[in-house]
Amino acid sequence: MADAGTAQNPPLTARQAGLVACHRCGRVHARTDDTCVRCGARLSSRDDTSLQRVWAWLFAGLVAYVPANLYPMLETTTLGRTADNTLMGGVIELFIHGSYGIAAIVFIASIMIPVGKFVAIAYLAMVVARGDGRLAHARHRTYEVVEFIGRWSMIDVFVVAILSSLIQLGSAASVKPGIAALSFALSVAFTMLSAMSFDSRLIWDADKDAVA
Amino acid sequence: MTLPDPPQMQIDAVKRSPFRNLSAVWLVPLLAVIVSIGVAWKSYSDRGTLVSITFSVAAGVVPGETTVKFRDVVIGSVENVHFGPGLQTVIVDARIDKEVAKTLPADSQFWIVRPEVSTRGISGLSTVLSGVYIEGAWEPVTGSKVRAFQGLDATPVVRPGHEGRRITLRSTDASLLPEGAPVFFRGVEVGRLDVARVSPGGDSAIVEAFINAPYDQYITTATRFWDTSGFTVKLGPSGLDLNVASLGSLLSGGVAFDNAFTGGQPLTDATVFNLFVDEASARQSIFTQIGENAVKVVINFSGSVNGLNAGAPVDYRGLRVGQVTGINAYIETSPLGARIVRLRTAIEIDPQALGLDGDTGGGEVMAFLRDAVANGLRARLTTTSIFSAALKIELVELPDEAPEQIVMGPDDLPILPNVASDLPNFTATAEGVLERINALPIEEVMQQAISLMASIEAVAASEGTRAAPDALVALLEDTRALLNKEDTQALPTELRLAVADLRKVVADLQERGAVDNLASVLESADKIAADLATAAQDFPQLVADLRDLAAKAKALKAEELIDQTTKLLASADAVLGTDAARALPQDLSAALAEIQGALKDLREGGAVQNANAALASAKDAAESVASAADDLPKLTAELDGLVQKASGLIATYSTKSAFNGEVLDLLRDLQTATKAVTQLARTIERNPNSLLIGR
Repeated sequence: MADAGTAQNPPLTARQAGLVACHRCGRVHARTDDTCVRCGARLSSRDDTSLQRVWAWLFAGLVAYVPANLYPMLETTTLGRTADNTLMGGVIELFIHGSYGIAAIVFIASIMIPVGKFVAIAYLAMVVARGDGRLAHARHRTYEVVEFIGRWSMIDVFVVAILSSLIQLGSAASVKPGIAALSFALSVAFTMLSAMSFDSRLIWDADKDAVA
Repeated sequence: MTLPDPPQMQIDAVKRSPFRNLSAVWLVPLLAVIVSIGVAWKSYSDRGTLVSITFSVAAGVVPGETTVKFRDVVIGSVENVHFGPGLQTVIVDARIDKEVAKTLPADSQFWIVRPEVSTRGISGLSTVLSGVYIEGAWEPVTGSKVRAFQGLDATPVVRPGHEGRRITLRSTDASLLPEGAPVFFRGVEVGRLDVARVSPGGDSAIVEAFINAPYDQYITTATRFWDTSGFTVKLGPSGLDLNVASLGSLLSGGVAFDNAFTGGQPLTDATVFNLFVDEASARQSIFTQIGENAVKVVINFSGSVNGLNAGAPVDYRGLRVGQVTGINAYIETSPLGARIVRLRTAIEIDPQALGLDGDTGGGEVMAFLRDAVANGLRARLTTTSIFSAALKIELVELPDEAPEQIVMGPDDLPILPNVASDLPNFTATAEGVLERINALPIEEVMQQAISLMASIEAVAASEGTRAAPDALVALLEDTRALLNKEDTQALPTELRLAVADLRKVVADLQERGAVDNLASVLESADKIAADLATAAQDFPQLVADLRDLAAKAKALKAEELIDQTTKLLASADAVLGTDAARALPQDLSAALAEIQGALKDLREGGAVQNANAALASAKDAAESVASAADDLPKLTAELDGLVQKASGLIATYSTKSAFNGEVLDLLRDLQTATKAVTQLARTIERNPNSLLIGR
């Protein structure tokens, strides 16, 4: 629906009108203004450092994702026996035990979504940097999905937090969060920041450039 | 116009340099990378040293789970379990903290801790739930590079690093000395025994013991060890002696030690202690301990050495100077070619005990022995005590013996001459005495004595015996009365009168001229008179006998009395049965017949009287029963009446109550009982004998 509108009758953007909105309070200024007259924030029509920050957070998220997969997520101690579970090990174990549903949920939440996010953000950032303006609507939707779904990756971290606070029965059974839990939480947070740092207007700039 | 533009463009380009425009956010991934690399490096550098421990079995060891502990602190974990060459062993690869690994000496001990139940208690219980772990113990060193260790199959009793002293005990039998058995010092557990093993020579068992630190100072050369396993019961001249150390050592065995005397020297490492069977022999051993420089001598006994054991004492003038170390037999070929079995007893003689210096060499002792043998020193077997068959060897000085000297035996051991002992005789004598005592028919004698007593008791208790004296006295009275009777006393007079009459008849006959016939008649009359005189002479004898009997009867010696009474009665019977007595006049015969009758009565009288009395009392009893039985119908009637009344009374209550039923039952029982009593009474009435006979 939006595709058609873009192609045939591109709307007038604020940039084309020589205007810029304050990020903080939303007051519209002329492009020549440097600071917002109302709140004093710095004005800029496009975020110059957006892509830099996207890449930086993404990279941090990737770095944190490595230990999240290598180290144990949960340390369960049952009657003196300690068992360590990594993310993928847990998924495999659940699958072997026949809990396909839970295995699927864990796999999607802990493996597919984060990896998909990495790929999606990297793809968007690369496309915007190259100035390729095709499929701007699809890309925007991708961005929105990534931003929306990112927080759901935290479901794993919540599970670990709840389990380790509930199951503390001394030597009979206890659950401790492993290093991977922290790493995973950091990784999710970093990718969310990465997604937020992405200035979605850049997609449309490229589109416009391409059309122009 | 054109001048200002180019420089501005260049400045912009420089301004747009990515480094100038670098966002501070890049610090975050940078930091993440640095932290990650740091963590990775740390975990890599902290990674423990891989050591391999070889076990024979690795029960319960799980890679990644089983931990390695030192002093109960986790120092590493098992990474891999695989087989050794030829599948003979199991090699456990464990990653151990690298700082700890540096302190591992080559003789470090590792063992798998499992749950264990023994007489010493339960250990390793925690591993039931948590799984086994590998425990290590070692004396820390620095900079060790050893990475392969030999694991133990069981928890070691003594762990390296423990302060204390390891000592060696020698015993002939270690069956009661299991691994881990406690070592006591004055009742305090101060150490543990290690695994027992057989000595290289195979002649004794060697047990290593570990004495914990503060107590090892009490072990000197004066220390003696003894076995406290089980309990000892000793029967000796001082009585029964029971010795039980503790219930624990009763089950698990144990060893105790003490210093037998003061002033022991500090130990050298090679000191081996003998383990004595009990405390008494351990303490006694200070007098019997054979020094290290004992002299070995051999004695060839010709007779049996049954009762002589290794360890038996060798005495000299009553003082123990050595001990028997072994007895064996060997075949000696005599100069004539015959082969003789010789018994060779090896002994050790302690020079110190002989009064020589402890450091004296064997040569000096031999010189002393040579002199002594030349002066008559001989070995002789003798018993240790009169109660035991155990033998010991006595060195006696017999100057009168044929001179002998010490010769060297086949294996270069000097042979000490010996003399035959008088041992077998003594044993034979002692045995003879015991056998004779054994052969005494004590039981038979006892049996006879018991039966005699019983018969005496029976005789004394019988009514007849008790009645006998009375009856006898009565008989004597009767007899005396008979003899005192005028008739009897008048007998001789009457006889004389008869003789006078006869003479008169004879005179008449002579006068009538029948002298010859008369002479013969007179002769026969004379003979009769003489016979009568003899009979009359016998009579007082009978009276005397009876008196004697009466005296004895009064003394009431039951058995003898009965015997003599019987004898006397028999003789009295015999006297009365003689022709002479029968030839007495009629009165006398009648009197004697009366006596006979009296004697008969006497024989039967007691029993008859008793029987009569018994029958009389039985009759009385029967009568009283009968009278009681007479009352019974009345009683029955009364009881019947009572039952009727009670029934009537109860009938007024509700008829179906439980009380009613019970009371009715009771009354019915009463009725039945009454009927039975009535029946009994009737039976007695009809047949009173049944009461006596019991039928």
